[in-house]
Amino acid sequence: MDSKRRPNPLFLPAAGLFLLLFVLPMAGLVVESLRTYVPGRIGSAEGAPFTAANYAELVKPSFAVFFFQTLRLSLAAALVGVFCALPLAHWTARKLSPRWRTLAIGFFVTLMFLSVLVRTYALELTFGAVGPLGPALRAIGISTNSRGYIEILVAAGLLHYIIPMSTLTLLATFQNVDPRLTDAAQVLGAPAWKAHLTITLPLCIRGILAAFLFGFTFSISAFVIPMILGKGRVLFISNLIYTRFSEIANYPSGAAISVVLFVLAMLLVYVMTHLVNKRWAQ
Amino acid sequence: MTSLTRRQALQTAAATFAATSIGFMSRAAGVPELTAVEWGGGVVDAMKLIAAKQDKVTVNWVLHQGGSGAILPKIKATWPAAEYDYVAGWEGSFNGMLKEDWLVPVTVDMVPNLADIPEKIIVKNAKGQWMAVPRAVGGIYFAYRADTSPIEIKSIEDLFDPSLKGKLCWPGPTQSMMLQIVALALHAGGDENNMDPGWALMKKLAESGNIGRIAVTDTDFTTSLTSGETVGGFYSEPQLTSVAAAFPVTRLTKTEGMPVFLYQSGFAVFQNRPNLQATLGFINFAISPEMSEIYAATAGEAPLNVKAKTPDNLKHLAFTPEEFDKFVYVPDFNVVLTNQDAWAKRWEDEIAPLI
Repeated sequence: MDSKRRPNPLFLPAAGLFLLLFVLPMAGLVVESLRTYVPGRIGSAEGAPFTAANYAELVKPSFAVFFFQTLRLSLAAALVGVFCALPLAHWTARKLSPRWRTLAIGFFVTLMFLSVLVRTYALELTFGAVGPLGPALRAIGISTNSRGYIEILVAAGLLHYIIPMSTLTLLATFQNVDPRLTDAAQVLGAPAWKAHLTITLPLCIRGILAAFLFGFTFSISAFVIPMILGKGRVLFISNLIYTRFSEIANYPSGAAISVVLFVLAMLLVYVMTHLVNKRWAQ
Repeated sequence: MTSLTRRQALQTAAATFAATSIGFMSRAAGVPELTAVEWGGGVVDAMKLIAAKQDKVTVNWVLHQGGSGAILPKIKATWPAAEYDYVAGWEGSFNGMLKEDWLVPVTVDMVPNLADIPEKIIVKNAKGQWMAVPRAVGGIYFAYRADTSPIEIKSIEDLFDPSLKGKLCWPGPTQSMMLQIVALALHAGGDENNMDPGWALMKKLAESGNIGRIAVTDTDFTTSLTSGETVGGFYSEPQLTSVAAAFPVTRLTKTEGMPVFLYQSGFAVFQNRPNLQATLGFINFAISPEMSEIYAATAGEAPLNVKAKTPDNLKHLAFTPEEFDKFVYVPDFNVVLTNQDAWAKRWEDEIAPLI
């Protein structure tokens, strides 16, 4: 075997940890999802018979509604997040002096470290039914208790995290693109916007995809944000999983939903990555 | 300038470590340290007051996160190595623990003050053994803020009034063991064994748009009512006590057609713990007449010890036999517990898409 193809032994500790902390628990989850649950018990009994019923019960319209609600809000938040982050990252990478760029990066990193709970409650207190903006929103006919408004608030909660994260991801991407390429295009007569759209963005597409996928995977697995801002009315799949595990103790059902969410999320990530690679392979 | 050699630094560190260790060890050796799970708010405040009045044990307080059933998976994950000496709960969570065979049976010999607790309220296993120590009785019922509610709520029909749009705080599918739907079922001619009428009414309520918040934790309810986001709902007395501390609250405990559910709050004592005697001693102290009165005054649950006096602010929880028959409904908690899974899924299927 070619020594270059042999795995580096330094890879083993990380592989061992991955096996211990991810593969084994996931395998346990898959086994639990196939166990029979007896109502009133806490989880499945030891040696409970195997069944596919926990998966079969997910094939119903209500689960699809929860899934598409999670998917819809996650996609929207990830897309809006990337659109907001693109100009921010471009401006930071290209327009700021090194000193101000360092300060801007420090600011985005600080935002990432701010507790999710703090951001979420800040939004709830400001834009919630009894927040200072509540009366103003109601005065222009926006009900702070309407479902549409709650969905927007949940998406805003997700954006709080997605925008700084996407900005930092895209910052590195923009810095790796040689600015002389767009300069050359402009020298040859292309307007600035065209040079940007046809040269900079295509060269950044993988970074943009990475930023989008970071935002999307963060959103699809979000738990605290929909729990607090969703007022118990806008629920994500993670909230259903929590209910199954922690409140009604139906571990097999919770495990089945977790496995389905994991598989669907991986599938979506694969499809998007595949499409981008296929379109921009050259 | 004072200089410190490496040897001096190490000696100082060792001396400091030894001194603190001796202090810790003497404290640990002198007084057993219990780990107890309690509800937050007034309940844990009351238990802290009680703990402060004795010196036989010290207590590490752990709070329930969400409903009292949420602790059960955490216990199961570590069983048989129990992490808690006692867990505060009620009939619903006690039944789950009984099915898992986690609890220590209790007797009057072990907890002498149990002699002053009505026997019929004590949770028993199939062999008739007493499996939990009741400390107080609480209630779950409809209530509203009299100062902010646009209407005077007198019946379940009033919950559909258009003036209450977005103004009701309704318990989530894992709160109050879904007794809120049992209440609707009772109003519509059903009960816990025949829930279809209740679910039909629940759908109607969800479609009315009157539910502004689904409370998934106890604090959701108190925050929603105290902030003025909503004006009323169906919840348990400790949360209503918190709201009533600052605002006028009308509790519908003696209104015809508005069912009241009483539950016992108490202690479940766990097997495989090193401090069983100390735990039982502390619990015995906590249900004594004097401590029961302290608990009632702070936690908002009426004492079960027959020698303790019910405080005036909990008179709405005192029922004459006639009132008890008329307003209080005692469901079959085994049916309620066994159906939690099915009811939670039914909520997700039929109700959640409507709110």
